[in-house]
Amino acid sequence: MSTSEPDLRTLQHWLQSFITRTGEPPFLVGARHAVPLHAEREAVDQIITRSPSLSAHDRLAIYRHAYLARLKECLRVEFPVLLLTLGEELFALFTSAYLQQYPSCSYTLNRLGENFPRYLAESRPDAAAPEQARESWPDFIVELATLERAFAETFDGEGNEGKPLLDGDRLLGLPLEALLGAHFKTVAGFRIFSFRYPIAAYFNAARNKEKPELPQPSRSYLAMMRRDYVVRLHELTEIQYALLSGLNAGGTMKELAEELDDDAFVGDALQWLGEWAAKGLFAAIELAAGV
Amino acid sequence: MNNARLGYPHLGYGVGLRTVHFNYILKHNPPVDWFEIVSENFMDSRGRPRYVLSQLAERYPLVMHGVSLSIGSTDPLDFDYLRKLKDLAKEIDAVWVSDHLCWTGSNGHNTHDLLPMPLNEESLAHVVERIRIVQDFLERPLVLENPSTYVGFVSSTIEEWDFIRLMAEEADCGLLLDVNNVYVSSLNHHFDPVHYLKSLPHWRVVQFHLAGHTNYGTHVIDTHDDHVIDPVWELYRLAHELTGGASTLIEWDAKIPDFPTVHAEVLKARDYVAVPTDLLLADSLQTGGDCVVA
Repeated sequence: MSTSEPDLRTLQHWLQSFITRTGEPPFLVGARHAVPLHAEREAVDQIITRSPSLSAHDRLAIYRHAYLARLKECLRVEFPVLLLTLGEELFALFTSAYLQQYPSCSYTLNRLGENFPRYLAESRPDAAAPEQARESWPDFIVELATLERAFAETFDGEGNEGKPLLDGDRLLGLPLEALLGAHFKTVAGFRIFSFRYPIAAYFNAARNKEKPELPQPSRSYLAMMRRDYVVRLHELTEIQYALLSGLNAGGTMKELAEELDDDAFVGDALQWLGEWAAKGLFAAIELAAGV
Repeated sequence: MNNARLGYPHLGYGVGLRTVHFNYILKHNPPVDWFEIVSENFMDSRGRPRYVLSQLAERYPLVMHGVSLSIGSTDPLDFDYLRKLKDLAKEIDAVWVSDHLCWTGSNGHNTHDLLPMPLNEESLAHVVERIRIVQDFLERPLVLENPSTYVGFVSSTIEEWDFIRLMAEEADCGLLLDVNNVYVSSLNHHFDPVHYLKSLPHWRVVQFHLAGHTNYGTHVIDTHDDHVIDPVWELYRLAHELTGGASTLIEWDAKIPDFPTVHAEVLKARDYVAVPTDLLLADSLQTGGDCVVA
């Protein structure tokens, strides 16, 4: 090999940079800084052969176009509601920038979108402003992306299929004190969310091919799990969210009851626990020793 | 004496498994000889895709076809990936495991594209060494596919068919001969696809791929979005004769039609192999080529 020809490692780094750094200034093999476009074309000519119908640069650009098109299409499939909400043009801008900021480092495309909600939060125009000074609508976009990513992960992640579920009838036979101090184990893949927007209603309407209006800010709570390989969303009230998130974190109903000091809470909570068990949210119950 | 197809069976005529066909296959149990899965779509799955796969593994022979082994990359081999690949192959009793002669990324990144390599002594030594390591790890011969390519390298010194032959012989691996890729690359790089087919070590061909492509006039791209065109079928007929036949599969990855349409496409292969190569191809066959051991 002549000294002008890069070794395989250098060549691969250069070629990958050419393909993936769309919109970036041109560059040369091994160069640390951008170079004029004509210099890049000359560099390509030194490495890539031309065909009778295409220049070396145009041949290499086939890979550049394919790279972006393929990965953006994957993100379109993973975030269909976000695409519907943002529109084609804005979604394309966001995904192009995202792929620059968070290029795939995994062997599987299933992880391509895992940082997209984070990227959207980081890139919001008022990211550096104090929270109270921020605009509200970016929250909606970030929350929507968060839900869609969680949906994808829940669909293909660990689930409870083939494993036992807590039988709701078992709760009926337990004394109140036992239930108050019990630890409820949620099923594998269970997730719980607190959103600033009514995300679930919008998400469901969009997935049902309706064209929902953009909602006004309104706090919402949501549990997500999978049953029989179908992802299920359960909307919660604020107090239900407090109870279920507390149980999911390893707490007990008694701890929340003492905090709330509300006579009606325990009765309501017992009913909710029965409903949630029937929906398959719990894998098991662990009673305190001696109960 | 060479062992045809490295001892792997001729499974017949198969279809690339795609999620849009899951429900149809589960409901109708179509009489497909075998399925090929994209390994990475199932390696990490703990949801419905893996569940469906486990059901199909009880009904059909399955072959694993990967897109992220990156055998040509200068990055270190990913043994976490290889462990998952091996575990899945064991779980579904994969008949063989294949990937591509390519690299998919460097510096820890993955472009998720099958990127071309310069074809020279440095690349050959690099790829052969890595194939050997992978085969030792997987405890089975690796089967590698010739990719479609859209660029050539100034530093290439070996023709693709010679590179593949040398690679297969030195690494002692199998070949997945994608006939459509040979056709696509022959137009992009202006070589004779018949000479390409004749120059391969035919007894190492474990499997054929067939697919549609898109001709843009200035170049051809392997889009997997249409029926197989007649010139590719003719090359397939020749490849079948040269190799003595091997498991044949249709890939359809975009604008995917219903399952019966895809299945019918691969079954056309039976008609082609039933009729001898036409006179033009037969004439070129008489000029030489490797011995076929069926």
